[in-house]
Amino acid sequence: MIEELLELARRRLEPGDGADALERRVERTSVAFEWGRLKAAGVTEEAGVNVRVLHRGRVGVAGTTAVGGDGVAAQHAAPLLDRALASAELGEEIALAFPAPAKLPRVATHGARAADASLARLIEIGSFLLERLAREGCQVNVAIEREVADTRVANTAGAQGSYRTTGVAVSADVWRIAGDDVLAIGDTIESTDLPSEDALAGVVRSITSRLDHALRIVAPSEGALPVVFTPAGLSAVLLPVTQGLSGKAVLQGISPLATRVGEQVFDQRLSLTDDPLVPGRTASRPLDDECVPSRATCLVERGVVQRFIYDLETAARAKSASTGHGQRGIFGKPVPAYTNIIVGDARVPGPGSRVPGELGGGLLKGIKDGLLVDDLIGVGQGNVIGGAFSHPVALAYRIERGEIAGRVKDAAVAGNVYELLKRIAGLGNDARWAGARFTPSLLLEGVSVARR
Amino acid sequence: MIDRLTAALTASRADYTEIRVEQSWGSVVTMRGRRLESATASEDQGGFVRALNRGSGWGTASFTSLDQLAAMVARADELSRAVRLERPIQLAPVPPQQAEGILDLDGDVRGVPLADKKRLIEAYNGAMLAVSDRIVDTLATYRDEVTEYWYVNSEGTVLHELRPEVTLSGTAVARRDGTIEKGLESIGLRRGWHSVQDKAAGFRATAERAVQLLDAPTVTGGTYPVVLDPELAGVFIHEAFGHLSEADFVYENPQAREMMTLGRRFGKPVLNVGDNGAASGLRGTLPFDDEGTPTQDTALIREGILVGRLHSRETAAAMNERPTGNARAISFRHPPIVRMTNTYIANGRGPFADLIRDLKLGVYACGAFGGQTMLENFSFTAAYGHMIRDGQVAELVKDVVLAGNLFQTLDRIDHIAGDFRWNQMGGGCGKGGQFPLPVTEGAPHVRIEEALIGGDVPSPA
Repeated sequence: MIEELLELARRRLEPGDGADALERRVERTSVAFEWGRLKAAGVTEEAGVNVRVLHRGRVGVAGTTAVGGDGVAAQHAAPLLDRALASAELGEEIALAFPAPAKLPRVATHGARAADASLARLIEIGSFLLERLAREGCQVNVAIEREVADTRVANTAGAQGSYRTTGVAVSADVWRIAGDDVLAIGDTIESTDLPSEDALAGVVRSITSRLDHALRIVAPSEGALPVVFTPAGLSAVLLPVTQGLSGKAVLQGISPLATRVGEQVFDQRLSLTDDPLVPGRTASRPLDDECVPSRATCLVERGVVQRFIYDLETAARAKSASTGHGQRGIFGKPVPAYTNIIVGDARVPGPGSRVPGELGGGLLKGIKDGLLVDDLIGVGQGNVIGGAFSHPVALAYRIERGEIAGRVKDAAVAGNVYELLKRIAGLGNDARWAGARFTPSLLLEGVSVARR
Repeated sequence: MIDRLTAALTASRADYTEIRVEQSWGSVVTMRGRRLESATASEDQGGFVRALNRGSGWGTASFTSLDQLAAMVARADELSRAVRLERPIQLAPVPPQQAEGILDLDGDVRGVPLADKKRLIEAYNGAMLAVSDRIVDTLATYRDEVTEYWYVNSEGTVLHELRPEVTLSGTAVARRDGTIEKGLESIGLRRGWHSVQDKAAGFRATAERAVQLLDAPTVTGGTYPVVLDPELAGVFIHEAFGHLSEADFVYENPQAREMMTLGRRFGKPVLNVGDNGAASGLRGTLPFDDEGTPTQDTALIREGILVGRLHSRETAAAMNERPTGNARAISFRHPPIVRMTNTYIANGRGPFADLIRDLKLGVYACGAFGGQTMLENFSFTAAYGHMIRDGQVAELVKDVVLAGNLFQTLDRIDHIAGDFRWNQMGGGCGKGGQFPLPVTEGAPHVRIEEALIGGDVPSPA
């Protein structure tokens, strides 16, 4: 256990020094259905320790998976600490303060049903989806992954915490190849508990309805059009904003939002909150990976930029305080990272994924001619943080007179999110989790659509 | 170790069992701006067992505690038996291999102090910062790893290898008012310390490019004849075509199989494409894949016709073809899946000048910030570009995004120069949650008769 490691550190370090460490043990069981049939089952058992020392005002980090069967046995702790100290010798000076003990919030991070679910139960879930998604001329892949992780984090200032997280991720995708037209439509739900039958039926409905609408291929209109971005399709629009709200980008001088705290940068209807205390989410936890207690952080409130996310080190450099966003793996040092991002009016949604609403979330009605974007190609490529984007569509539909007319294949959308998000023409009634984000569909006007 | 592994194999009840064990030592030094971000040395170790029984599917177990080896072999067998299959999984035959492979370490990075690695990357980072005060931020990373690798399977294959890897990467961010541009430098080699010396020039050029791009206009979107430089052409063939030639995409999908029928025309006769895991000294090179199959040079497109694909033992058996040595795993945390190695467009003829001589207006797209393929559509962001005017390379342009349909675009490649080169870059390929897999791409300059270039994006706020 990391106590031994920190105890050793206390003996080796000098006054004014300090250390913190994280230990994580993960057990994962996965089941894969490939092209319509159960193909493989696997387990993973992984353990590792990451330690950071502050020595003579300099920070060093080391990690290892050589931790022995039960915690960091003494023979592993000493060389690990040596490597961290060697790393600190090269390190830059920084006024890092390890947090003192604090009361931790309560948050539900695990479910016994998920932890105890048998392999047969996981296979059942996959078969349920496979049966309902099977259709002529299509191939289905399904993957189920169940994870139980034990995390323990502590520092030489006496702060500590440990918690167990369970996670069940269910993903399915349907492939349809007709000549040279390749179509793949998928969905993923993730929760700390086993999915309910309703949630699974929701996956089937979400895939089936998008597939049905996709069978007819239509040409898109061109020009500046109203575009509905679905919760999944919103990535290209939100990525520059979340990158810009990271304290790290602010510190580097590359965030367009760096000097705009307190300003109305976005439409009043845009709020963004990062909340590590949402029950039932796999990213939720009582404290971050640097012993900072979790709390919700409002980043944008009614279009006004509020604050940025920080871990201990970026906060120290920015002369700010950690917002509890330190995230660390077994190797490397902590970095600021988001947990659960909530878009909209910051209602904390209940556990589990909701049943998806109608495609477009009720935003199609008033659109005479536009586009609905569910997936784009190349999101994250290029100069993201500047806000300009230009992507071919992977899955998009033409909207005509308030209805989906069919799938659009050869089109690209472009725009600048800082322009587009100044005015949001509508928020859908279909808010759901899409990865780590809880968001409704957004209707944005004046998105440039090009045909090719 | 080999004795431990063979003993565990003997104890396995499964019809087929394989065990991989890896122990790796790595270090990473990162500079950001004028600061050291971190300098760390890590140790990683673990194993992976895969078992297969008649009438059953794959059972796998991955673990970091080697004390668990025997239990994990039993667990993989159990999991295999829990997966009942109607159509059995077959493995194409590969003769048992016994090999002791010590790749050229070229200055074993494990013997170099962390402080020397810091000095090296500090110098390259300094070369970027010194270019101009417009360079507001840099990120420079030195990364190395040596992996000791053991592989045994129940058919008698026993492999032991020492695999080195070293990569350098640099990002230079130039800024003037609201305009931000960047340049990327990346070097990746399956070698050691000696091979990453004297690389400052590339880092300097990258920063200079970022500064020049501040003044460059955005390319006007539209359809042009487009010439790809060897770097972008390599990324293009890997992303847009290479993934479709991975047999796990087609082997159990009748419609995909039809789309990728051998003998189908994919391009004009000038087009030759292959994947060569046995090429000398490249990042994607290894003597054997992670199923113990020897690597080889596999022709994929010959004179425009689809002639081959990349296989694991399972996909080869299912399609009645031969294994090609392309079953790879990024680490003991993952099963081997069908992957590329060193993928290339083969050399054509003549100089670059021949490709642009008769172009009145075109785009010369260079370098790659990234690329993604989704199904038959792709999007690539070039690092920069030049307009081609009246047969000459003209002004620098930015935001060059190449997008299109794979089949149309391959078919529109009409001229390939004779200036082939491998792009020895860092980073790697991602598939099925396994990233980054070391691969290399190679190509000469390639001309596409007509392709869509994105641009015309409203200027940043």
